[in-house]
Amino acid sequence: MAAVRSFSRRRSLLASLRLAVLTFLADPQWLVPSLIAPVIFGLVSYELFLGSSPWFVLYAILGAGMMSMWGQTLYGSGWATGQDRNLGTLEPTLSAPTPYLYVVLGRIIWNTVSGLLGGAIVFVVVALSYGKPVPLSNPLGFALLFVFVIVSLAAVGIVFSAAYVYTRYAGFIQNVGEFAFYVGTGCMFPVALLPFWSNPISLLFPPTWALDALRYVAIPGYHGLSWGLWGDLVGAVALTAVYLAIAGTVFSRVERHVLEVGNLGDY
Amino acid sequence: MLRPPAVKAKGLTRHFESRKGFFFSELTRTEALRGVDLEVAPGEIFGLLGPNGAGKTTLTKILSTLLLPSGGRAEVLGLDVTREALRLRPRIGLVLGGERGLYNRVSARENLRYFADLYGVPPEKRAARIDEVLTWVGLADAGDRRVEEFSRGMKQKLHLARGILHEPEMLFLDEPTIGLDPKSARETRKLVRSLVANGVTILLTTHYMFEAEELCQRIAVLSRGKIVARDTIAGLRRLVGGDRTIEVEDYGFEDLEVARLRRLPGVSRLFTEEFGPRLRCTLRVGTGELTEAQIRAALPGHAEMTVRERRTALEDIYLDLVEEEAK
Repeated sequence: MAAVRSFSRRRSLLASLRLAVLTFLADPQWLVPSLIAPVIFGLVSYELFLGSSPWFVLYAILGAGMMSMWGQTLYGSGWATGQDRNLGTLEPTLSAPTPYLYVVLGRIIWNTVSGLLGGAIVFVVVALSYGKPVPLSNPLGFALLFVFVIVSLAAVGIVFSAAYVYTRYAGFIQNVGEFAFYVGTGCMFPVALLPFWSNPISLLFPPTWALDALRYVAIPGYHGLSWGLWGDLVGAVALTAVYLAIAGTVFSRVERHVLEVGNLGDY
Repeated sequence: MLRPPAVKAKGLTRHFESRKGFFFSELTRTEALRGVDLEVAPGEIFGLLGPNGAGKTTLTKILSTLLLPSGGRAEVLGLDVTREALRLRPRIGLVLGGERGLYNRVSARENLRYFADLYGVPPEKRAARIDEVLTWVGLADAGDRRVEEFSRGMKQKLHLARGILHEPEMLFLDEPTIGLDPKSARETRKLVRSLVANGVTILLTTHYMFEAEELCQRIAVLSRGKIVARDTIAGLRRLVGGDRTIEVEDYGFEDLEVARLRRLPGVSRLFTEEFGPRLRCTLRVGTGELTEAQIRAALPGHAEMTVRERRTALEDIYLDLVEEEAK
């Protein structure tokens, strides 16, 4: 029986990924913003940071790139589960033998890929506006950290998805926290620029550490969080691991809770 | 050797709590199930009838592992619905029906493929099985169309296709024909019968009495969270007092005349209903007793009254039981 279940889980993850791609391609609500919004973010961000520092082009790329990736990866992951509620597909999905976490993971993989696509579009748009090769002091480190940032966003996205299973009001909570999270984790500008009292809250989220590390790698002379690049990396990896590790527990508890409360059909 | 029951529930209870208001919230507690005992034999279609809010869907969801009971125990196919849900789920199917519950932006085939994977239908059999169920529910030509283009009847059929995709041994059908046109409803009932012919056990909840009468071997009537009666339709007829229903109607009857009707031989129950100026007395009567002549003789001043006789329908039984419980 165990073999059957693990087989089913892997297939469920792939099935969920496949459905996420098909839904994305079939729904202009996702397709258009995913392709057009990064272009607008890139252009606006380029103008916003123009000439602010010798490395303004990287600030523009990171600011707009994060905005695009954040939306796709973090917000999208929660939203997809919210859609399950709205469509009424949460009940049939949860009545299947596979834990819902694997369905969510499949979607998050797609959201991560589409988030990276948004980030890449921003990079191209800002680079084209700049008209010269983008100065990168450590291109390989930049690329690796770019991917890692999105993994850290996905880790938070899983927890957000659990909230959507837990309650139909998750969208309300996420909408309220949306901008605070975006600013608080340093997506648009470094958290070191934020008031000191807000830093402990920011540090609870892995993207804060990962983004700061990314700026350390990309921008020579960058002064972010006081423990520097390696401290950021350790914190980012550790926190992402913690988020991913607790995701399984959170999901099984949330699944049990919704079966107790009986609010799966609410939307 | 006797086969164990497909469903065995003992003392099932379930309550829901909800809060109203934001600052001064008020807790409301609803008793949806109040000690339900139930047994369904393997291979039968068991009907669950009851008014809105009686607890039918709650019971269906508990038995199909979508809801935990507040108390009591339930086993489906020999597995505990609370502790062995993951082992039970591949063996049961649930059809909740309605307009919702499907991915509208993708095709029917893609919907089925997704759920086939969630239920672990072997990949080498998946495509053939999807074709098979689409053909079986009459959607073979619409399999590649987006679900958002489907009529309600087509969606209902797709729900059914999804419910049987993984060849469950037990199927829970929650109002499968609600909102369907007569032709689609008849086709759905035909499909349900053919499932049972293939050995599937079915628990059917419905508001349509003729549907339950046509399909179900046994029926339970649920009212306000309790099973008030459970038997074959013939057994339920006996329970409410007879196979025959006689309606006597005129422009009013005296209390004494109604009492006289009640005392006629074979009359087990009598209800009165007013229709504008007219009054109808409905009598439940056992087989082979009481004639129209005896009724007319009992009410000599009512030469113009109408007397109609029909076989007691499941709807009559249902209304008797539910109204009795409400009192």
